[in-house]
This record gives sequence, C-alpha cells and structure tokens, in this order.
Amino acid sequence: MIGSIGSMAINLAFLASLGAMICFFLAAQSDNPIYEKIASVFYGFKGALVFLASGLLMYLLFTNQFQYFYVYNYTSTDLQNIYLAAAYYSGQEGSFMLWILCSFLVGLALLKWTTKTYRAPVMFFMTMTQFFLLSMIIGVTVFGVHFGADPFRLTSEVFAHLPVFQMNPGFIPEEGSGLNDLLRSPWIVIHPPIIFIGFAMMTVPFAFAMSSLWKRKYHEWIYPAFPWTLGANLSLLVAIFLGGYWAYETLSFGGYWAWDPVENASLVPWILGMAGIHTMLVQKKSATSHKASLLFAILAYATIVYQTFLTRSGVLGEASVHSFVDLGLYNQLLIFMLAIFLSGLGLFFYRYKELPTQEKENPFFSREFMMFAGALTMFLTGLVIIVGTSSPILGRLFVANPTPPEPSFYNQWTFPFAIIIAILTVITQYLWWNKYKNGEEFAGAITMPTLIASGITVLAIILTNVRQIEYMVYLFAAIFSVVGNGTMMINMLKRNAKLIGGTVTHIGFAILLIGFLGAAYDTPMLDQQTSNYNLAVQRGEVFDDEGFPEIQEIGVVLLYKDRPKLINNEYMVTFRDVEITHAKRPGEQEYTIHFEHIKSGRQFTMNPLFYPMIANSAPGNISWTVEPDIRTGLIRDMYLYVSGSSLVERENERIRRASTFQAVTDALMDENAGKANFNDLLRIAPNTTARVAQYNITFHRFIQVPDEYLPEDSIVAVIADIEIENADTKVKEKVQPMFALVFHEGENRVMSPDAPLENFGFSVRFENIDTGTDEINLRLVGIEEHVEDEWVLINLEKKPLVSTVWLGTFILMFGFSISIFRRWDEHRKRKEDE
Amino acid sequence: MKPRVLIGVFFIIGFTSLLMWNFGNSIGSFVTFEEAEYKGVRVHVAGTWDQTRPSGFDNQRMIFTFYMTDNNGETRRVHFNKPKPNNFEDADGLVVMGKMRNGVFFSDDMLVKCPSKYNDSSNLEVSEAPHSF
Repeated sequence: MIGSIGSMAINLAFLASLGAMICFFLAAQSDNPIYEKIASVFYGFKGALVFLASGLLMYLLFTNQFQYFYVYNYTSTDLQNIYLAAAYYSGQEGSFMLWILCSFLVGLALLKWTTKTYRAPVMFFMTMTQFFLLSMIIGVTVFGVHFGADPFRLTSEVFAHLPVFQMNPGFIPEEGSGLNDLLRSPWIVIHPPIIFIGFAMMTVPFAFAMSSLWKRKYHEWIYPAFPWTLGANLSLLVAIFLGGYWAYETLSFGGYWAWDPVENASLVPWILGMAGIHTMLVQKKSATSHKASLLFAILAYATIVYQTFLTRSGVLGEASVHSFVDLGLYNQLLIFMLAIFLSGLGLFFYRYKELPTQEKENPFFSREFMMFAGALTMFLTGLVIIVGTSSPILGRLFVANPTPPEPSFYNQWTFPFAIIIAILTVITQYLWWNKYKNGEEFAGAITMPTLIASGITVLAIILTNVRQIEYMVYLFAAIFSVVGNGTMMINMLKRNAKLIGGTVTHIGFAILLIGFLGAAYDTPMLDQQTSNYNLAVQRGEVFDDEGFPEIQEIGVVLLYKDRPKLINNEYMVTFRDVEITHAKRPGEQEYTIHFEHIKSGRQFTMNPLFYPMIANSAPGNISWTVEPDIRTGLIRDMYLYVSGSSLVERENERIRRASTFQAVTDALMDENAGKANFNDLLRIAPNTTARVAQYNITFHRFIQVPDEYLPEDSIVAVIADIEIENADTKVKEKVQPMFALVFHEGENRVMSPDAPLENFGFSVRFENIDTGTDEINLRLVGIEEHVEDEWVLINLEKKPLVSTVWLGTFILMFGFSISIFRRWDEHRKRKEDE
Repeated sequence: MKPRVLIGVFFIIGFTSLLMWNFGNSIGSFVTFEEAEYKGVRVHVAGTWDQTRPSGFDNQRMIFTFYMTDNNGETRRVHFNKPKPNNFEDADGLVVMGKMRNGVFFSDDMLVKCPSKYNDSSNLEVSEAPHSF
C-alpha cells in the first residue's frame, strides 16, 4: 500500500517534471507570465512528491518492512537509527532520490533569487536534469522497454525465481540482508549528502551558461553563477576530504587517495569548476574569455554526468573497488549523458561565432593570459584524469580487455601540472592586484618571495631525504606559492581583508601540494630480518624450492605475544594483548601493541581493531576486516593495522559451523569467545586411538563389572579401559570410566559418573554404547586445547605529511568560504542596483 | 594562420599524442593464466577463488596461498605476498596482479570485487531451510 503510493508519487513527480520542463521552455520563449506561473506550480508539486516518496521510503526503512526490496537489501533489525536513515541513500535508487531532492532545493533558491532574464531558461535546465534523474527511478515498462529502478519494488518481485516465493508469494523475510559492515560508520551519514549538494550546485553554472547561450546574453550570467560555482566547489571539496579521511582513518584503503574512478568522479568536476571560476574572474575584470567560462561551466557539470554514467552503468566492472551495483540503467544513463553533452556543446558551437571575442589579444605577460594559462592547465589536468578513468572504454583502442592505468599514470601527469599551477598562482596574484610598468618592476617585486622560498626549500631538502631533482622542483614551486601568496595576503589584510579569499585558497592548495609529496615517502616499517630478506630478494639472491629466484618482498611483521621485536631500528614493538571487546559490533577484537622509542625511551601503545563483517558474510564463511589505528603526528603519521592473528584463526574455527547469521552472532557473543572450540564428544571403537586437541586417546577394551561391584540398583555396568597421552609432553595416564544402567523408582536410567584425570585438567564420562558396533561415546569434560604462542601479523607504515594534507584542505575550505561570502554580497548589491 | 593558433594546434596535437601514448603504455590487459605464462611479464588476471582446494597463510614465508580459477576455467595456484585480503571470502571476483612462473602466479596486488548485493539472497535461502546442516 505504502509502496504503491510511493511509486505513484515518483511517477507523478516524473510527469510534473516533464510539465515543468515544457512550461519553463515556453516561458523562456514567450513573454507571457502565465507559463512561468504554471511551470512553478508543476515544479513545486514535483518537489512535494519527491519529498513524499522520500518520507515514505524512510518510514518503510524505520519500520523494517522487508517485503520491500530496498528495505530488505540495505537494512536489518539490528541497525541503529542513524544507519536506517543513511540506508535511504545507501543504494543507487535512494541516492538518485537524494540527488533530485538537493537539486530541487537548489532550484527553489534559484526561483527566488534569479533575475527575470535568466529565470525561466535556468529553471528549464535545472528541471531537465531532474527529469533525467527521475527517469532512473520510475520503474515503468512501456512497450516492453523497462525504465528505471523503482525503490518501492517488492522483494517477492525481485526474487520471484526463488522457491520460497514460488511456494508462498506472500512470504515476507524476517530479517534484511543488512547494511554493508564497511558502511556502518558515522561518515556515511554526512559524506553522500554533501556530494549530492555539490552535484546539485554544480548544475547551476551549467544552467546559467546554457541560458546565456540561449538568450544571447553572454556576460551577466557569471554574476549569479559565480557564488554557486564556488559553493559547488566547496561542497565537492568537503565531500572529497570526508571520503579521503574515511578511507584513510577507518577503511584502511592504505591511504587517502587511490585514483579510484569513484573518487575521480568528484575530483574532475571540482578541477573544471576551478578552471571555470578563474576564467569567470577574468571575464568580470576585463570582459574577456567568455568562451572559456561558458565551456568550463558546461563541462564541469557534463563531467559529473559522464562520471555518473561510468560509475553506475556497470561499464567500470572490474576497474573499481566501489562502483555501484548495476541496475540495468546503462541505456538511460547513456541517453542522459549524451543529452547533456550534445545540448551543451551543440549550443556552444552553434553560438560560437556570435560569442564576444577580443579585439586585441592579451600580451603574454598579462594577468588575463596568466590566469587563462592556469585555467587551461587545470582543464588539461581534468582531461588527463578523465582519460585515465575512461580506461574500460578508451583502453580498447590499445588492448582487448583493458585494465585501469597504473596510479603512476595519474601521478606523472598531474605532477608537472601541479608545479605550473603553483607558480602561476603567485605570478597571477602579483599581476592581478598591482600595476607594473615593465617586467623589471615585476621582477623586483617577486624577488623577495623567490629568495625566501629558495631558502626554505634548500633547508627542507637538507633536513629531509628529498633527493630526486623533480621532487625538489615540485617542493620549491609549492613553497614559492605559499610564500608568494602569503606575502600578498599580508599586504591585502592591510588594505581590505574581504579580498583575501583567493590568496588563502592558493595557500591552502600549495600546502596541500606539499602534503601530497609525503605520499611518495610512505615506507613500511619492518624488523631487521625482514628488511634483510627483502634486500636479498631485490638483489635476486633468494631462491624458492624449485630454484627460481623469489620476486616477492615481505611487508608484514610477525609478532609473538610478549616477545619484543626491534622495528626499523627505531622502536621496540611488543604484542601485549588482545581482547574481544564487542565494542562497536559483535566479535570485535582490540589489539594492544606497545611501542618504545629506543633512543628517547618514549613509550606508547596503539590499538588496531579487527572484526567480522557479519552482514557481508555467507554463513560458515566469515569475512573479517580491520580498523587501523593511526598515531597522528605533525610531520608523519604511524599507520598500523592487523592482518591476521592466532585469535582470528581460532574464532574462525569456532564459528565455522554456525549456519545462520543469528547463530554466528550468538557464537561470537558466546562466553567461550576466543577459546578453542572442538568437539569434546568422542566416538571410538575398541583397540583404536583417536586424537583430540593435543591428546592421544586409546580405548583398549571393555571390562565387565563383576556382580559384587555393581552399584546399587544397577542392572548392568561396564567399564572402558582407556589410556590418554599428552602428545606434547608424553605424559600418560590410565582412566576407567563406568557406564551403568540403573533401575530406580520404576525407571531405567543411565549412570555415568565423571572419571577425573590426575595429570590433565579434565575428566572422562562414558556416555553411551552402540551395541551393534561396540563403539562408545566419551565426553571429555573440560578439555582445553593447549594454546600455541599467540601471534599477530601487523602492517606498520610511516606516512609523512598526512597532517599537512588535512591542514591544506582546511585552509582551502576556509578560503572558499571567504570568497563565497564576498561574491554573494557582490551579486546581491548588483541586483539591488538594477 | 596566426602564429599563436599554429602553436596552439601543435601543442594540442603534441599533448594528445603524448597523453595517449603514455596512457596506452600504462594500461594492461586482463589475461588468462595461460596467456600470463606465455607473456611472462606483469599482468592482471581476473577470476574466482577455488574454495574446494586448500588455502592459507604461511607464517614463515609470509605468503597467502590459494587457488584461483580464471575466466577460461583454468585453475592455478596463486602466491600472494601479503596476508589474506579483508573481503576475500566474500568476493565474487578477484583480480590478481603479478607474474606467472612455472604454473604458479606470483601476485603482489589484488583487487577484491565485493558482491553486488543485488542478487544476495543468501538470507532467504537460509530462512527457507534453517536446519539443513
């Protein structure tokens, strides 16, 4: 019922979107105000319907209605409320809904604040994008062609082929399959919404650029579009930062950035947005570079759509670790992408001849040209990343089944671009704010920062182990950018503090660049023996059993409990303890690794976690994952995670037999957690030996109990002659447990008292006899396995300058925020003047 | 033509060719074990874990060993020089990167493809026959 209303709401929203689109189009073409009124009504109606559908979906999620596939697939009854809320956008369908909602709200703001000239066409393009997005979730079949994936579809429809639904179509699963364990982190609550706010805001410069082309008003659009572009860039930056921090801090992806297609999907629009911001600035200041501003505004949004296509259509397949589930939306996404690209570039080139051109080209050494060169470099950077991300498509030009490019492809290309951009930030800032009569005067102004930057760079090179010439150049460029922009910022603080947004942003960017260099010096920390082994492997001196040289180096350290190892000639590292804490999830283990710095004697402990991912595992086959512990430092981080231990192996053995998720959870929470578990029931035939734990148990023969020794009331009694040997210590002991049938108060009963062992800490109970085979059942009460030395495998890495990356990001965000306030103010004043 | 335009055109052609040349060099191709043996260089092989054969971590040599069946249906032993990746059991596909030698694939990097939860009906199978063990 609720589901039908929800589906209906989405379908109506889709139609309303179409209506709004048509009416906004008519409104843009004619002066009759009635069209815009109707369009706005349609638009508001559409928004209300999407809100309604979202509310309903949220309600279904919170009430665990597993008859709905989306609820079944992304939640379970054990989820906390914040994750139930986050489940709304954990799947593809819901994330489209969130995107539409964000886009709708941005559209509302535009309806309110956009001037008459651009309002209708801008709203037309906003509605168009929402129309396409809505088409992804309508879930209707027209003439045999299926459109969209309905978030309200039923579990029984999706799994119609399963016997359980064939037998009973009304079957409702009692439990959902749960949210991916890796996603159960507070970060999922904020990271996706901020991305979609960024995506929605980035639609605005696109819509304005398109409207300006449509209405042939090529200049004014940048004023309203500018703060939105800044806002979109700030959102994307925050989202990228959160994603990177999440990956680094909890997911143990090994670093904050991996050039994964999904990561690139928000990076490229950010870079193109940046390029657009810079050309728009030129356009404001000197009424030139209209073409570039238009093109970048269009491309920034178009790349969002392109990357959405890549990550959601299944094209990436094996290229990405976290691309979305393929919902069969390939064709629709392709149409969406083509529509944006063709309409955008088509209109641009259709109007190309009319676009304002410069009478006289800028001289090479002018702020306009330098700024443009910077924007162009950013554009090329974006282009390189797009080429790399498109490897599943573009790679086919070269090979049949292309793999993604090596990360070095991205690193090598972005590296020189970063140097160019860093240096241009300084030159442009100087040219932007000051007038120089000639090159000499400019050179005079720039001398001081250059000298200071050179001094710092030389000092940095001496103090650190930066030895490659290209890294030195890069380091200089970044430091030069900090010093140059810093000098400008100080000068501007004296004049007008509102204007420092640009310089602050540049400083943040340059500090970020310095931080990135640290990633080139990530080094695993190993013990001496392992390091020697690795060196020998590098020299080709290690051979395997078959006489081939070993090619694989070792990157982990094996630690036995309470046995310290010297690591990196720096720290004595000891595995002190491990405890099953169940802190954040069932079965979570916390390790205590103790460090002592041998020179200073400084001591500290680190506590990495290890936990089973129940929602991701099939019964009987548990996946485990880690949460690293990071010791954050000003200069470098120490990054530690566990990649295996004796405890994990024992736990795995213990829960192997659990056949349902509930049983696994129960087993994990069991009081015996962490102890070895094996069958203490032994079935054994006469004259045989069996092994249980470290004990060899031999059953020699039966001994009939003579009548005079029979216990009271017993009918028959028999004794098993048993010998037990501890295979480790070779200690032997004989034991003779008894099995008796007793007739007591009119009933037959079994009497089998525990026969204690003196040398070993358990007793033997003779529980049953199989009269057919003469086999007997022995219960080994309280037997415990002798636990081998506890061990743990750790990955320990030194990661320099990670804190610098975060610092740079924060400064960048701060700079953006200053600029947004200033530009919004400027835009408002301008509107008041009109 | 103006010299600036000419320089621009040369630059674009130069940039594009360099980019594509470098791009072509930095991507590899997914191959089968048989092709990997034949090629002898670092390659990517996609496939699935063969659960019927033994796997485990060797504490002495620090190698995780398992058997993988490639997309051609051939199974080979894989030596991975790190501990078992986190989502290993859970994966519905693996991509190993490394070299093939003498029928053994020596891998130093592995992509573990998490299952698309779309078709995950394991819960339903269980609730259908809870005591089949």
